[in-house]
Amino acid sequence: MNLFETKNKDNYVIIIGCGRLGANLANTLSDNDGNVLIMDSYKDSFRRLSSTFGGLSVVGNGTDLDALNNAQIQNASAVIAVTNHDNTNIMIAQLARDMFHVKKVIARLYDPERESVYQELGIDTICPAILSAKEVDKLLGKCGKQVQA
Amino acid sequence: MKKMRSEKILLIGGRNKASALASSLLSQGYHVIVVNDSREDCMKLAEMKGLTVYYGDGTKPYVLDEAGAGSCRIAIALTSKDEDNLVACQICKRNFDVKKTVSLVSDPKKTEFFHQMGVDSVVCAISAVTNIIQQQAFVDDLVNIIPVGLGMVQILEVHIPGGAVVAGKKLWEIDLPKEVVVGCILRNDTALIPRGDTRINEGDTLVLIARNSQERMAIEVLTER
Repeated sequence: MNLFETKNKDNYVIIIGCGRLGANLANTLSDNDGNVLIMDSYKDSFRRLSSTFGGLSVVGNGTDLDALNNAQIQNASAVIAVTNHDNTNIMIAQLARDMFHVKKVIARLYDPERESVYQELGIDTICPAILSAKEVDKLLGKCGKQVQA
Repeated sequence: MKKMRSEKILLIGGRNKASALASSLLSQGYHVIVVNDSREDCMKLAEMKGLTVYYGDGTKPYVLDEAGAGSCRIAIALTSKDEDNLVACQICKRNFDVKKTVSLVSDPKKTEFFHQMGVDSVVCAISAVTNIIQQQAFVDDLVNIIPVGLGMVQILEVHIPGGAVVAGKKLWEIDLPKEVVVGCILRNDTALIPRGDTRINEGDTLVLIARNSQERMAIEVLTER
């Protein structure tokens, strides 16, 4: 099935999971003229997309091979798995990388312990807890210096 | 007599499947550990004698560590979610060096993918069950069929009815499909391993090994009257 014609094949991003992070990313990429498809199992989730969102929103299960095929995942330059379930994101990332040979695959994982396992397996992961901790540390460092000065 | 085996087997998730499998493994003398993330299921499972139960998410490394995944030879993931089974198996393999990982998968299309991702054995309940149902639906005589090798091969029991055309014939005289072999003849509580010149009697039960889709023809030939 041909859902649409890809304008710019070099920059087609698939985002799976339309939560706060997914919607935010989709809005930003779309505003920057990116070619975006966002997928979520629930239609309601797309309410988070801004009114100027110019990409595609598809209701579907991101771990389903047919849904990914319909989204033309093989043409995607990047797949970003940001559902609210760590294991789902892991499976989507591995499907995208090993079954569809997508070059850039990113998964969001809440659990830092699992993150280290999958980083070793060569999947790009982001862990909000670790990022927040780093940021807090940076702020604390600044404040520490101010106090010293 | 029960054989005592010190081998440890880890079951992750699943309620009825875990409980049935655990009781069968325990009776064979294995040491069985169950990890389940539902408190209710854990309580139920803990009623089983000799079973070690851990309450926690079996896809988290620290839970598996506490459950002793490191000393288990086999890990079997039985949760209802494919992604949880995949992650549980991968962490068992990677972090705890479990020799053999087995995963249940509900989406038949992901069987190959699971193999590629390093899961040693993938069981798809849906395709196994649909295979059996199909065969049972098309076969009139009561036949026991076990699919093996991802359903590519079937092992089946066929009973030779009274007055069957093949009764009294030698094995090589029967026109069986090419990719079917008679592995064993069950006759009056004894098991014979047949040769080409073995005669088939009424009331025998033949154990066949057949390539998928060949078994139906074989059954027709053997049960024809």
